[in-house]
Amino acid sequence: MRHPKIEQLEDHVSEALKQDLGIEKLFSVAPFDEEEVERTGDSDYSYWRSTFRAFRHNWIAMALLVLLVVILLFTFVQPYLPGQFDPNTITNGENGLPLKNQKADSVHWLGTNSIGQDLWSRVWAGTRNSLIIGISVALIEAGVGILMGVLWGYVRQLDFLFTELYNIIDNIPTTIVLILVSFLMRPGMGTIIFAMSITGWIGMARFVRNQVLIIRDRDYNVASRTLGTSTWRIMFRNLLPYLVSVIMLRMALSIPGAIGSEVFITYIGLGLPIEVCSLGNLINEGRKLMMSPNLRYQLIYPTIILSVVTVSFYIIGNAFSDAADPRNHL
Amino acid sequence: MKKMISMLLCLAMLLSLIPAAMADGDTYTAYYGSEVSTLNYLVSSTEWDQTVAANIVDTLVEYNNLGEVIPCLAESWENSEDGLTWTFHLRKGVKWYDSFGEEKAELTANDFVAGLKYVLTPEYESAIASNVFTAQIVNAEAYFKGEVTDFNEVGVKAEDDYTLVYTLANPVPYFVSMTTYGSFMPVYGPLAEELGADLGIDNQSIYYSGAYILETFEPQSEHLYVKNQNYWDAEHVYIEKINRLYNAESATLSPIAALRGEVDGADLDNDILDDWRENHADLITVGRSNLQYSYFYCFDFDPQYEEEYDPQNWLIAVNNSNFRHSIMSALDRLYGMGAETENPETLVENTVTPPAFSTVNGKDFTTLPAFDNIENYFYNPEKALEYKAKAVEELTAAGATLPVKVVLTYKSNDSDWANEVQLEKSQLESVLGTDYIDVILYAGPADNFLAQTRRAGKYSLQKCNWGADYADPETWTDPFYENLNSETGLHDGNSYNKMDKMLDTDFEETKAFLNAYYAKVAEAKAETADIENRYNLFAEAEAMLIENAMVIPFRKSIAGYQVTKLDVYEGEYAPFGICNLRFKFQHLNDDFVTAQQNAESYQAWADAMNK
Amino acid sequence: MLKYLLKRFARSILTLFFILTIVFVLVRQMPIEGYFPNFEKMTQSQIENGLHQMGLDQPMVVQLIEFYKGLFHGDLGVSRVYNRGKPVWDILKTKLPLSIQLGSLSIVFSMIVGLPMGILMAKRKGKLPDHIGTAFIVLIQAVPAAVYYLFIQLYGTELMQIKLRFDPADFRSWILPVLSLSLGNIAYYAMWIRRYMVDESTKDYIMLARIKGCSEGRIMFRHIFRNAFVPMAQYLPTSFLNTVVGSIYIESLWSIKGMGGLLVDVIHKQDNNMILGIVLLFACVGILGLMLGDLLMVLFDPRISFSKKGGD
Repeated sequence: MRHPKIEQLEDHVSEALKQDLGIEKLFSVAPFDEEEVERTGDSDYSYWRSTFRAFRHNWIAMALLVLLVVILLFTFVQPYLPGQFDPNTITNGENGLPLKNQKADSVHWLGTNSIGQDLWSRVWAGTRNSLIIGISVALIEAGVGILMGVLWGYVRQLDFLFTELYNIIDNIPTTIVLILVSFLMRPGMGTIIFAMSITGWIGMARFVRNQVLIIRDRDYNVASRTLGTSTWRIMFRNLLPYLVSVIMLRMALSIPGAIGSEVFITYIGLGLPIEVCSLGNLINEGRKLMMSPNLRYQLIYPTIILSVVTVSFYIIGNAFSDAADPRNHL
Repeated sequence: MKKMISMLLCLAMLLSLIPAAMADGDTYTAYYGSEVSTLNYLVSSTEWDQTVAANIVDTLVEYNNLGEVIPCLAESWENSEDGLTWTFHLRKGVKWYDSFGEEKAELTANDFVAGLKYVLTPEYESAIASNVFTAQIVNAEAYFKGEVTDFNEVGVKAEDDYTLVYTLANPVPYFVSMTTYGSFMPVYGPLAEELGADLGIDNQSIYYSGAYILETFEPQSEHLYVKNQNYWDAEHVYIEKINRLYNAESATLSPIAALRGEVDGADLDNDILDDWRENHADLITVGRSNLQYSYFYCFDFDPQYEEEYDPQNWLIAVNNSNFRHSIMSALDRLYGMGAETENPETLVENTVTPPAFSTVNGKDFTTLPAFDNIENYFYNPEKALEYKAKAVEELTAAGATLPVKVVLTYKSNDSDWANEVQLEKSQLESVLGTDYIDVILYAGPADNFLAQTRRAGKYSLQKCNWGADYADPETWTDPFYENLNSETGLHDGNSYNKMDKMLDTDFEETKAFLNAYYAKVAEAKAETADIENRYNLFAEAEAMLIENAMVIPFRKSIAGYQVTKLDVYEGEYAPFGICNLRFKFQHLNDDFVTAQQNAESYQAWADAMNK
Repeated sequence: MLKYLLKRFARSILTLFFILTIVFVLVRQMPIEGYFPNFEKMTQSQIENGLHQMGLDQPMVVQLIEFYKGLFHGDLGVSRVYNRGKPVWDILKTKLPLSIQLGSLSIVFSMIVGLPMGILMAKRKGKLPDHIGTAFIVLIQAVPAAVYYLFIQLYGTELMQIKLRFDPADFRSWILPVLSLSLGNIAYYAMWIRRYMVDESTKDYIMLARIKGCSEGRIMFRHIFRNAFVPMAQYLPTSFLNTVVGSIYIESLWSIKGMGGLLVDVIHKQDNNMILGIVLLFACVGILGLMLGDLLMVLFDPRISFSKKGGD
């Protein structure tokens, strides 16, 4: 039994062979075209453009991205709006004492905290500071972590060194390092970012390393290596784009993570000075009020902002990592 | 099937009844938030360790609820003419018991000697050995340092089983109060000898002579105290069992546990107070303020902080009396204290020595004539501006730059303190103006806070505190002692405000004050015979400190809010030592003490105190 | 393979040595005040004596040699502050089992719930189960753990009519702590397995399998899940071993006598022997976890190898 299609194909071939095969019959002279000469063989596919195009199709993620940007911008604009308080100014009541735990009214839009500071402006100042910290830490961690991780995973000679380094750094209690640093450095934004990044990158590095190990010896990389592609080129052209999706997701999660871990750092004494408020501090103060229905609002507002930020980063991260996967581009 | 369901329901009901059945009328149950380090009361200095000790071992004397010394293990005592020999006559028939309640031996004078020997043995690293040195016991420190090797040369003797004699190098009029601290407590000699450093590792490696026996001791879980039925004073021990349950988050959870009937007492933090006021106002009671601590603001005379805060400028400013007075008169203490407590009026104090700490001939130390005009030095905005005007002139002449940067410290993990300094910054700057002072809030680390702030000179203004070492006003001069280095002939600086360092500089005004102050303190210390005169001299010295604005008295210990089944005013009330921590003399009520009952018993107690 | 493992084992010993030495030196940089809770009231002679008893007055090298001598004989020393006079190992011995039990229960429970959840989400991508799952993950990520732990404890105990404190003998009091501990892990497992499976399911070999006519279930489990599980497998031993660390929040809230927060606690108390003992334990666990993780990855995915063949 032969397939009819194969029979057909055979017929075609034999027919073609019967013809007189002169050069002119097979080829014709193309006219010279200046533009055609310049054209390259590539399609107009661009990785990043396609990624953004795919991302734009996810309207929820787009909406959240806009929301995040608006929040971020608003935190900077908010102090210049009319009727705003300085987050550290203490408002006194008529009796000359601080206006404690005041409920929301037209003056204090979200009420005041336990020493009469305006909660509305504190929440926004806190959001601003926390976002700056979170994004800085995520960027530093990603920058250092990815570089180290790719080297660790790809270059076999370095595996020994990095594994040792990882084991050592990972097993030295962060608390000891942080306490010792707290004796040397003054609290501040720079300090807290330093304190969080000093050991944070190693986790990212190990994550990237494991991903790299998985795909390092796949055929296309072996082929690339055989063809003599340089190690750097393989790392940055072959491996990294493949990893963009998972890395983005991890980074998106590490921003809220950094905001959360700030509370612990504050406890050690490396935290932000009391005059620089942050979501972590606001929530930590509010946690004690959880059992007091009347005062719970002091916990709820910062938690809402933190949740919105976290959820946004999570969904945007997920959407972006979907979009960053080249296989989803067609 | 129906049978099954009804059986299950019965079971569920039975199970839910278990907690109710366990709430024993004679057992006081409460959470505790941090575990003891050791049961060895001879080495430990922390209050929680001593809470256990106070209830399981007795001291020579103790206090009643009005702060008067009453006999305990010693039935009577006397001091020799020269004030150097103290003789205690011990109660007969007091026994040592083990954790199973079995009688082990009789408690004799030798056990006090054994206790002191243990404390002074360097290998055991007793943190409270210095207390014995302060008590001036002959050769105590020499033995500790190894300069004397025969313990018989140390000033403690058991003349017979019931006569204990301490010999002192100098007269110590307040010696009796010192015997209520861990370093003077008895230990069963043979046991201490046998166990050595392992004494008090658990409840079986220690003997009991107090009101309670620690029947169960499971670290990070449970302490169960059971009343010792054979205790010599059993009739004054009213609570049969005390069950302390560990919970690291007890500050958050124990108020809820109290409402659910799982515990019989809980502290109420400031944060939840408003809520309780609304829902359980009648259950909020106020604790009794602890006499042993005092809080005061110090000005630093040896600023070592970063150049950006201009320590040199501060040094010029702090040596100007008008500048210090301007801050002292501008500081509204009640305003800042609002961050820590709801009733600052009852806690504020105008002296470093807390009120009711010591009395002489029926007069409280803080009401002695030296303190008659002391109120005039505190909060007064108009006066503050007058001082400011003078200070601006003098400081400019002395080459200081305005505004003066004032580094105000707080501990980074203490949110009440952080709130307090924010309030104070806002308050001081609004009175004095930011053209005059610039208050900088300076966070100290959570660990080794004092080493990194006060002791390192990294502050210009800081809330400091001191706890009494014995029941005598002298103890409140200790933070300001003159620390003269005999080798260099210079002053190393007292650890609080380092003011004595100024004696080696040319700040003449400060020097003149210091010379007068130290002379007064020396005179007071030397007076050991006439107690009234002694107290007056100490009062004069303390008044000098305050009138010259070297220190700003702030407040007593905070008497926190609590919900409890105990009447706190029944317990022992001691200016020094561990007797405060005893459950003896206290009754356990069936229900929580109401706010009204609490106020009544406070009134009755306060009236009795004033008599 | 065996040779590779042996070599790695030998290297681990070296790593341990480095870790312990570094931590040993680091803790000795702490201010001496921290060793004495009563520092304010102590005399110079007491402080000197204290430092002498701890051996801190000797040169660092001598201290280090003493430490390794003790370690070689299996002696970690005694605690100084945490539980004065008690041998370090005796303290750890009583705390480890509870944390391990609790942690392992939680991991097993999270996998039983989290993996199927992630698989279901990936299978029904963009449909209702995916949305519900995502909502759950997002919620868990968004609410700070410290907040929902307390919430579960307060309302859970009220609902179940049990005490606020954990009682190991009562089966009912295990439920809420394990549940609290698992929520984060469930979300974590579900999220990653979904991510990997979605990534995997667009690959060519899956398309081929589909063309070949494989059943959807077979594709899901034999192909996609197996490949997606490889990166997760790497972390599996570590997560099980890491249960020895305990959970600081859960254990403090429920008064569970475990390892949670112990290291941080003894660091604050500057209990040097305890710090080193715990670091040693955690380091062994960490190194072992990494090794087993690599091993497991090789077992699951034959394409990965650690032995040197070819390559650069």
